Amino acid sequence: MSTDLVCREVVELISDYLEQALPADVHASVEQHLAGCDGCTTVLEEFRQTIAMTGRLTEEQVTPDQRDILLAAFRGWALA
Amino acid sequence: MELVERLTPSMRRVARMFVSSDAVADEVVQEAWVGVLKGLTGYEGRASLRTWIFRILVNIAKGRGQREARSVPFAALAGDDLAEPTFDASAFDASGVWSTLPFDWRGMPDERVTGRETLAVIGRAIASLPPMQAEVIRLRDVLGWSSDEVRNALELTDTNQRVLLHRARAKVRAAVEEHLGSVST
Repeated sequence: MSTDLVCREVVELISDYLEQALPADVHASVEQHLAGCDGCTTVLEEFRQTIAMTGRLTEEQVTPDQRDILLAAFRGWALA
Repeated sequence: MELVERLTPSMRRVARMFVSSDAVADEVVQEAWVGVLKGLTGYEGRASLRTWIFRILVNIAKGRGQREARSVPFAALAGDDLAEPTFDASAFDASGVWSTLPFDWRGMPDERVTGRETLAVIGRAIASLPPMQAEVIRLRDVLGWSSDEVRNALELTDTNQRVLLHRARAKVRAAVEEHLGSVST
């Protein structure tokens, strides 16, 4: 017996759904909801695509820029 | 040596969450590598090697943070918005159904969607997340660690690991949505 989920709930379960981390009955409810909901299906596919794109980044591209810190330090130095 | 080069950037960032400066974080990383070498004979292979290395690191970093009298509250690292919905409430009507459908970028040309600009947007979005959210998505989605590895390495509960990852991914997706929505017209 699956419970009905609304969109606002489904979007919060998407990562767990993709990770197969939901209890079987909840997983089934999400699946059932997605089959009839364009908005939530859009979000699911966009999560998938975002995860794939994130995987193409290198570690340097997702680390706050060290140069910014250095430049800030130099600016302080020049004014002193 | 390759392992040292590969893990050191993440180790510095993780150490930095618990201590007061980059310099102290570097000391913690060095101390952790010494601990790894000393303890290597005690490594039983139950956790992955990188998870085991991070546990040593986090231990040292937390101890160092405490001695600096710098006990960082979990909320400061994880973000104070964990209990809130990840999607804007205004997107839904009173019954929880979409009132405005999310922007569907799947009809856009592929080179536009997955091009350099979008990747740069993702990079900036991750860099601006609260530290623990950023680290979880880096380890999971950029570096490809498993949820168990990340949970153990960062000493998170299973639930926290999943909440942090979902929140991080939702914000990154929202940043991509905003970017593509603005260039699609």
